[in-house]
Amino acid sequence: MEALSCGERRLGSEEEYAAPAVGVSLCDSAPLVWRMQDLRAVRAEGLVGALLGSLPRTPRQNGRLGRPLLLLPEEEGLLRERRAAAALPDRCQQDWGGAELRQKHEEEEKRSFEEQSVLALEDRKLALLRAMTGAESGATSADEALRRRLQALDQNFTFPQSAMAVQLSTARAGLSYCPEARAFLQAYGPPGAEPRCDARYQVFRDLRGRGFYLTSAGKFGGDFLVYPGDPLRFHAHFIAVCVSLDESVCLLDVLAVARLGSNVKKTVLLCSPGPDARVCYTSLQWSGMI
Amino acid sequence: MSGASGGEKRPPPNWILQHPAQMKDLQIEDSAQVHAAFLVYMDLTEVRRWKEVSCVKSSELQVVLLEAREKEGAPTLTILPLPAHQSVTHKSIRHVLDRGFPVLLCAVAADSTLVYQRMTDGLVTPDPPVGPFQDMGRRQHRKRRQQR
Repeated sequence: MEALSCGERRLGSEEEYAAPAVGVSLCDSAPLVWRMQDLRAVRAEGLVGALLGSLPRTPRQNGRLGRPLLLLPEEEGLLRERRAAAALPDRCQQDWGGAELRQKHEEEEKRSFEEQSVLALEDRKLALLRAMTGAESGATSADEALRRRLQALDQNFTFPQSAMAVQLSTARAGLSYCPEARAFLQAYGPPGAEPRCDARYQVFRDLRGRGFYLTSAGKFGGDFLVYPGDPLRFHAHFIAVCVSLDESVCLLDVLAVARLGSNVKKTVLLCSPGPDARVCYTSLQWSGMI
Repeated sequence: MSGASGGEKRPPPNWILQHPAQMKDLQIEDSAQVHAAFLVYMDLTEVRRWKEVSCVKSSELQVVLLEAREKEGAPTLTILPLPAHQSVTHKSIRHVLDRGFPVLLCAVAADSTLVYQRMTDGLVTPDPPVGPFQDMGRRQHRKRRQQR
């Protein structure tokens, strides 16, 4: 798996110390992070993402999920801006990784099968011995019969493939099932094409720069959930709704999101990037006037 | 009213137009907003008995704003009354915030229901949940097992 890192390229960095870049796989434009060291690096940058995969030993639940990690488009953009991410190269043409793995697995299986058949034969002999000596005690003719039975067993015993116990190794590194893009990650659409998209990115960058952690706020009808620290340690304080300064918002929607925020003890934040690259925030709170 | 006294009786004068608040003098074209402002004015003065309630015209937004104090010695607030079906931009909210006072947005529904929302500049941390806190421990697990 170490040979994979030779395919990563650090995007034109001027610094001497180059922290290893995070390998991002694209699955139909969804940025995924597969490897453990990459996930750790992403979290160290203060980006949370969302785990998508199921854990091999506990598949039928949604409480604890496994790799890959899906990055928000804003998180991917931030990694690209900091030149900390690189697209993993296309491995379809060099399939040596897959073939070698398969061969290794088949060899291991064969070895395990041979071991298991020897052990199974011994088990059968022991069982036979116990059965014969238990049934009759002391008669010499029994020894003769036993010897003949054991001989027959040796000659005719076969261990069927279907009875073999197969061990699956779940601690393998280098998971990657999606075709990776060969080119570097392209820009996320022309700037200014969709004003909302850019507003979100500006707000994300500003809040991350202030030390907040952000995740997506689908459950609360906002754009981001803003945590004062790592989400594993804190509850979110704010629901961020990103609008541009001139965007007209229906008053009923403002009331709805403000009321929701007060019900879940979070402040609703209206965020708009201003003209001078600063972002202005307005906090909405329940007035307490019935 | 059925004309029993012979002559046509004149309808009583509209008391809203004659109210000393005199919002109509501010010359705002959006009559729905002026009406909303009037309802909020009445709520603050007669129902909640706030002090020093006055009207101000905002020329950039072309709306009537109210300024009031909740009681003597309390800080002045700016109130922005708006009909609930209208839309608002973040820019206009910032304009009102730029006046320097804390802002109350009041949405006036068609049935005259009033909803007040506080708006502040910056990031205001919400109040933390109130204790005492009880450690749930295994209670949730036990509940789930009983349900099965």
